[in-house]
This record gives sequence, C-alpha cells and structure tokens, in this order.
Amino acid sequence: MNLAAHSASMAETIVFAILSAGVLVGGLLTVTRRNPVSAVMCLVLTFAALAGLFATLSAHFLAVLQILVYAGAVMVLFIFVVMMVNREESTPIARQGLVTRAAGVLAAGYVFYRVAWLVSHERTLPLLAASATPPVKDFGTVSAVGALLFADFLFPFEAISLLLLLAVVGGVMLTRHVREDHSSRVS
Amino acid sequence: MPSELRMIPLLPLLSAAYLILFGRRHSRESVHRIACLAVGAAFLVSADVFFFWFPILYQSNGLTDLVGTWLASGDLQVDLALRMDALSGLMCLMVTFVGTLIHIYSTGYLAHEQDYARFFAYLNLFCGAMLLLVLGDSLPVMFVGWEGVGLCSYLLIGFWYGEAANASAGKKAFITNRVGDLGFLIGMFLLFRAVGTLDIPVLVDTARAGSPSLTAALWWGQPVAFWAALFLFMGAVGKSAQIPLYVWLPDAMAGPTPVSALIHAATMVTAGVYMVARLGALYLLAPVALAIVAGVGALTALFAAVIALGQNDFKKVLAYSTISQLGFMFVGVGTGNFAGGIFHLFTHAFFKAGLFLCAGSVMHAMAGSGDITRMGGLAQKLPFTTWVFRVCWLAICGVPIFSGFFSKDAIVAGAFATEVFGPRLHWVGPTLGAGLLVAALGTAFYMSRLYCLVFTGECRADLDTRAHLHESPFAMVGPLLVLGLGALLAGVMGLPPALSRSHGDLIGRWLATALGRQPEVSRALQWRVMATSALIALAGIGLAWRFFGGGVREPARRFTAAWPHFTAAVRGKFFIDEIYDWLVVRPLRGLSRVFFLVVDRILIDKLLVGGWTVLVDTAGRLLRLVQVGDVQRYLAIFAIGLAALVYVMARPVAPSEVKVRIEGRSATVDLTEGKAAVDKLEYGFDFDGDGREDRVGAAANANWLYPRPGHYQLRIRIKDPRWNTSRTIARTIDIP
Amino acid sequence: MPTYAYILVSLALFFVGAAGVLLRRNVLIVLMSVEMQLAAGTLALLSFSRALGDQKGHVFAFFVMALAAAEAAVGLAIVVSVFRTRRTASLDEVNGLKG
Repeated sequence: MNLAAHSASMAETIVFAILSAGVLVGGLLTVTRRNPVSAVMCLVLTFAALAGLFATLSAHFLAVLQILVYAGAVMVLFIFVVMMVNREESTPIARQGLVTRAAGVLAAGYVFYRVAWLVSHERTLPLLAASATPPVKDFGTVSAVGALLFADFLFPFEAISLLLLLAVVGGVMLTRHVREDHSSRVS
Repeated sequence: MPSELRMIPLLPLLSAAYLILFGRRHSRESVHRIACLAVGAAFLVSADVFFFWFPILYQSNGLTDLVGTWLASGDLQVDLALRMDALSGLMCLMVTFVGTLIHIYSTGYLAHEQDYARFFAYLNLFCGAMLLLVLGDSLPVMFVGWEGVGLCSYLLIGFWYGEAANASAGKKAFITNRVGDLGFLIGMFLLFRAVGTLDIPVLVDTARAGSPSLTAALWWGQPVAFWAALFLFMGAVGKSAQIPLYVWLPDAMAGPTPVSALIHAATMVTAGVYMVARLGALYLLAPVALAIVAGVGALTALFAAVIALGQNDFKKVLAYSTISQLGFMFVGVGTGNFAGGIFHLFTHAFFKAGLFLCAGSVMHAMAGSGDITRMGGLAQKLPFTTWVFRVCWLAICGVPIFSGFFSKDAIVAGAFATEVFGPRLHWVGPTLGAGLLVAALGTAFYMSRLYCLVFTGECRADLDTRAHLHESPFAMVGPLLVLGLGALLAGVMGLPPALSRSHGDLIGRWLATALGRQPEVSRALQWRVMATSALIALAGIGLAWRFFGGGVREPARRFTAAWPHFTAAVRGKFFIDEIYDWLVVRPLRGLSRVFFLVVDRILIDKLLVGGWTVLVDTAGRLLRLVQVGDVQRYLAIFAIGLAALVYVMARPVAPSEVKVRIEGRSATVDLTEGKAAVDKLEYGFDFDGDGREDRVGAAANANWLYPRPGHYQLRIRIKDPRWNTSRTIARTIDIP
Repeated sequence: MPTYAYILVSLALFFVGAAGVLLRRNVLIVLMSVEMQLAAGTLALLSFSRALGDQKGHVFAFFVMALAAAEAAVGLAIVVSVFRTRRTASLDEVNGLKG
C-alpha cells in the first residue's frame, strides 16, 4: 500500500470517526435532554452528521435529502410543536412500569450485543468488508436514483406521494379546532 | 280414484288454520259460520264419496287417494295416502255428522264465551285430525291423526286454562296418552321390522295370509303378531281410556261440555276400538292378545260401571259410563266380533253424545253447576232436553227397541258364541259375556239413578238458580233432537238376524269385506241374550227407581249405612288416582327433584354454565392486568420477546442424537447433527468430568480411553463462534 | 471505510433510539427517538447498497425518508390534538387503552 493511498485511507477513517461520533453523541444527547428544544437541536446535529455519513457512502442524493427534509423541514415541524406543547417535565422518566421498561431496554441491549458481535465477527465477509465505491456510473447521484424512481419504482413512488398527501390531510384534520356549538360543520 | 278424499280432512284443517290466525278479526257469526261450514262441507263430501262409490266400498278394499310420498328413508316408504273403505267410510260419516251437530250446538252453548274463535279453531282442528286418523292408509299417517286428536283433546280440556285444575287435567290427559302412544310406536316398529311396511292394507293382507313373518316366535315363545298387537293395544288403552290408563278421562270433563261430547265420548276415545278393528286380522293371529283386549275391556266395563254408581257430578257419571261402554266395545273387538264392536261404537256415539249434550243443556240451565245432588225435577223446566235424555238413557240401559239394546246384545252374544280363542281359552268368551251382563245391570242402575236424581222429584237447587231455569236455545236443542233420533233408530243398522232375516245385521254384512269373518251366533242364543239383557235392563231401572225415584230414598240410605266402607271406596273411585300418585307421580317427582338439584342446578348451572363464566371471568381479570394502557410497556414486552427469539435462534442447534459406544474402557462419542446442521461449530468434550476439556475441535466425534472403570460424567460443549453462543449436553458413562 | 463499521454505527444509533422510545416520558422526545431509529435503518440500507453496488437501496432509503416525514406529521398532529384535550404531553398519562 503506497503512502498516498494510506493517507487517503487515514483521512477517510478520521472523517468517519468524527461523523459517527457526531451521530452517536447527538443521539445520546437527544435522548437524555430534559428540555425538548435542546433535544431537537441535538437531533439536528445527529441528522447532519448522518448526512455526512451518507455522503461518505456515495449517497449524494440521500445526503442532500437528509439535510433538506430531516434536518430542515421535519425538525422545524418539531420545533413548532415543541413550542406549542412545551410544558415543564418534573421527571423525564416515568416511575410507573419502570422495571418492565428497563427490562425492555436490557433486552434491546442484548439483541444489539448479539448482532454487533455477529457483524464484527464476520467482518471479513465480502459484503461487510467492502469499502470502495462500486464501479457504477453516477452511483448515488440525483440522476441515477431519479432514473430508478421514475422507471422501475414509478408505482411505489406515486403511492408514497399519496401517502404523504394523506398524512397532510390527516394532520390537518387531527389538529383542527372542534367547536362546541352546532353551527360548526365539523362534528 | 277420487282426489276429493283429501278434501275431507283438509277442509276442517284449513278452517282451523284460518281461525287461529285471523279468527279474532271476525265477528262471532262469521267465526261459527266458517267453522260449521267447514265441518258440514266435510260431511257432505264424505257423504258424496260414500254414496257415489257405495258398491266399490262394499265389495273391494276401498278407494285410495295418494297425495304423495311423505317419508322415503331406506326401506321405509310411507305415502301420504288416504283410504276410504267400508269401515273408514262409515266412521268418516259418523265423525263429520256428529261433529257438525256438535259445532252447531257449541254456537249456543258457548254464546257468552270470550275466546270464541280459539274454541272453534281447536274444534275444527280436532275434526281434521280425527278424519286423518280414520282415513289414514298407513299406520304413520294414522298416528299423525292419533297425536293430533290427542293434542286437541289437551287443548280443549285446558280450554279454560285460567283455572289451574283445568290446565292440569289437560296435562294429565296428554301425559297419560303418551304412555299409550309409546306402545303404539313400539307396535309400529315391530310390524315394520317383521313385515317391512306400514301400509294398513298390506299389513292386513299379510296377516290374513298368516305370513310366517308375523307368526314367527319373538319373545317368550309368543309370535310377532302377539307383541305387535299387544303394544298397539297399549296405545288403544291410553286413547280409549281403559284400565290402567283410564284415569285421564274423568278429569277431562274439565273441558267445555261439547268437547266432552265430541272428543271424550263420540269420536276420539273410540279411536282405539277403531284401530283394533282395522288391524283385526293381525289380532286374529294372536288369540292371547285378543283375550287380553277382551279381558281388559270387560274388566274396565265392570269397574267403571261400579265407580259410576257413586259419582255425584253429572259429567263424571257420564265419563265413567263412557269408559265402561268403551270396555264393551273392546270386548266386542276382542272376541273377534269386530262388526259388533263398531256397531256399539256407532250407537254409543249417538246416545252418549246426546247424553253429554243434555248434560250441557242442564248445566247451561243450572248456571254451570253439574252437581246432581242439587238438581231434581228438571223435567218440567227442560222438556226437550228431558225427552232426548230419556231416549238416550233407555238406549244406554239397553231397553228393547232402542239402539243400545241391539248393539250391546250383538257384543254379548258374540262373546258367548266366539271361537277365536281356540280350544284352550274357550272359557274366556262366555265368562266375559257374563261379566258384561253384570256391567249392563250396573249401567242400567247408574244411568237410571242419574235420570231420577236430575229429572224427577223436587228441585233441590237454591232459589236463585231455580228462578233462572230455562230451556236451551234452538241451536242447542236442534242437535239434541237429531242425536236423540239417532239414539232411537241407529239400532236398525244391526238388528239381530233372529228378528229380521232380510234386514238383519246390516252393519255386519256391510263390513264383511273390510273386517273379515265374524262369530256365528245361533238363533237360539240370540233370543236368549235378548231376553236376558232386556230383563237385566228393566231390573236395573226398577232397582234404581226403588233407590232413587224422585230423590234419594230410604233403601239407598240403608244401603249406604250398611256398607259404609264400600260406599266410601266407590265415591272415592277406589282411590286409583291416589294410588297412582303414590306409585308413579311422587317417585317421578322425587326423581325429577333429584335430577333438578344435581344435574340442573349443580352440573349444568354451576359447572357447565357457571364454570365457563368463572373461567372466562378469571381469564379476563388476569389478562386485564397485562393491558396497562402504557404504550412503552407494550414496546418493552415486544423487545423482550424479540430478545428471547434471538436467544433461541442464536444458540447452536442441539444434536438430534448423542451416540455413545463403549468398548472395554474406550468410549466413542458421536453427535448426529439435527436437520439444521450448521458448519463451523466448535466441539469440546470433557470425558471425565474434571472441568477440563479433553478433546476440542471442529470434529463432532471423539473417543477417550478411561484409565480405570467407574462412573463418569460426560459433558459436551457445542459452540457457535459467529454468534458467540454455546450449549452444553451432559451424559453419564459407566465403564465396566 | 468498510461496511461493517457503518452497520455498527447504525446498530448503535438504533439502540440509542430504542432506549429513548422505551424510557422517556415526553412524547416529543419519544417521537424524535423513533425518527432516529428510522434514520439508523436508512444508514444500514445505504451501506449495504454501496457494498452490493445496487442503487435500489437508495430508492428504499428515499421511501423510508418519505414515510418518516409522513409519520412525523401525523404523530405530531396527534400530540397536538391530545395536548388540547388532556393538557399533557406525557406518555404515562395517556393510557386510554387501559384494561
């Protein structure tokens, strides 16, 4: 392995370490914040770092979408709702049924441990060891993914757009003010 | 063959259905017009068929109207077919004629009744069922009619169900009849098993041919015919109120009087006699069964006549009289004198219906009371009723000229002359005949007592009732007069040949084809019987006049004083009801109570019903605890489930078999992997149980040489390095 | 970097999200954790997509993202609606399904 390749690999590792640290620390901070506004901010950090990871995976289109849709639109939505609903929380973790939920977390940890072990143990498998960008033209670019979306996955694409429409309508219906008086058309 | 035959039962049945459904919408006039017209039309149709096909009925097996196949199941084929032959034609005429008269009578008798439409619907239904019984060409069709009349009897006895006594009288009649009907069913089954058909003409032909299928011994050396006949007779005993199942008939008097006249005197109760006569050929195959029929008949005739002596209720006296007269009829058919039995059935239908209608008329006048100790001297107030009663009374007593005289004589003479019982039982006939003569004496006595107490002497009713005494309306008196005329003249049908050579025994000759041979009665015997029974009738009337003429007289009082226990027993109907109560009703009731408490309350209510509710309830209570309503806990449980699944799936699959081979001190272990055998497993074998693994590697087998014999613990560890999971298997090894 | 490293990051993020969903009382943070889990799934999809050289993984990641957006919209609407009627945003106080 020559020096240039080695230093490129080195840089790549450092970038990956920083980004994944951002993702995980952001995630942990999100989950542990008492104030939802801080949580949202940490989640933005997580999603931004995640977009970076996407980029290192040559998923350029998805990286941009992650920033636009998640770190942008969805998080703004969260901020709005947090502003509407925000109330001081006396205890961040409910006492009731804590044992069950702690057992659930432990069980999730067990699953995590098992799968992580398997993945690290089998890291030499071709599928898990692959590290190069595949020799596909325009891999992960808007045009390549867009071509797939509008050719092979046209029907699911239209279906998902319908789902989004439904979600919008449903959101409007759910948050609409229900008046007590009968003059309202909503009952 | 004429399909109008089906109209005969259908007309009253349709009318009944209409009246049940829509009767309440009609006025009284419309209701009784519909009801009377239906029965009247049935009478006209039967008369039309009867007289149009007269020669055919006389000479052949009669006419059949095949409506369709009713049941076809395996070998069993039952047609819904009606047959009119000499016998059923005659019965049909009688039922519709008397039925029409009683319908008309009822319009007067029940003029003030609220439930007018219901009464006429039931009465129509009864006529339809009775006609089905009479015309049915096979035993199952007959049985439908048989049960139908039983149902109507029940409905009409309990017509005034507001009073508990009436309702329970209806139930008593129904349940007692069930006992007999069980016998009828068993008889049918036996016949079907033996002959393979239930068509009456086929059965009769088979029996006449003396087919071995019927004469083969069945149980206790008696032939099939005997058992079938006996069980069928059991049905007849229930329906025709003979010993031991007669107890329902006196109670049945709780129904309206026209019902008593039509159902419990003239028609339904004679169904048993009719059935025995129809299957006469079968009974002739089994003389012992015939002897039982005749014996039960004679015993009932005597027994009921004795009980009738001590009754003080107008209708009860008539009820026991009916039971007694039915006994006469059974002696008639039981001595092979089927025509005689049917003849008496006929005359009895007229005079007994007449007597009951007179009773109705009297009770109508007496404001519903039937207590004869409160009557007396009614002859002046009720002239028409009295005259009709006199005719019927003389008829039942057997006074010459009147119809009962001839029919009773036909039975008695037949009993003396019969040869159906064979040489070994030849004494049965004359004994029964003598018994009947005694019963005839009793009949004359109790009927005359009834006449004397009701119509002669001074009126013993209270002033209020006396003031309202009145003759019944024309609707009631008209039928009475017709029936009286019948009671007077019906004897013409069966004049003894000794009296008139050319016109003697018309009914016997008419029924000859349908019923087969009859006992030959010599002229001398006819004269002797006529003379004796005429004397007996007069003696009975005379004796009764001495005892009760114009009220209870001195000899009657002296008799009561001299025989107090006997009198009390007769008044109490020999306590048969009480005996049955102790023998049957109370044990059954106790048993039902036990079943109710054990099976119903505990087994069904507590265990089967309650058990399930408790189970479901407890399960619900327990499962409710799981439903905490907390989404996070649901998710936590989901995560735990997932972890459990991962735990199970990630462990190495257990080997399907652990083979241990021991040769001397050497042990070889071989693991046969299960179906989901995976590669890359690690195996560790610890042969001597010291905690150290003696053989480690990818091989699934290993061997070990033990230094000395003994008892060793073998532990095999299987490891899946990818999941970092392992499983341990333990075995013990004995090295000899 | 090799794919397994991304998968490990994805697993870790999924676990952190799961812990958040199971433990936190605030509905909003629970919803954020759910988003985090979905994003972890997206990361795994994209990693394997690169390893296999198949861009269908990107298409699925796109769908997941759209689904996550829809879920966030409806979920937040429900939160607002529940808050209006119950004046609470705590999951343990919303237990209308209790048996």
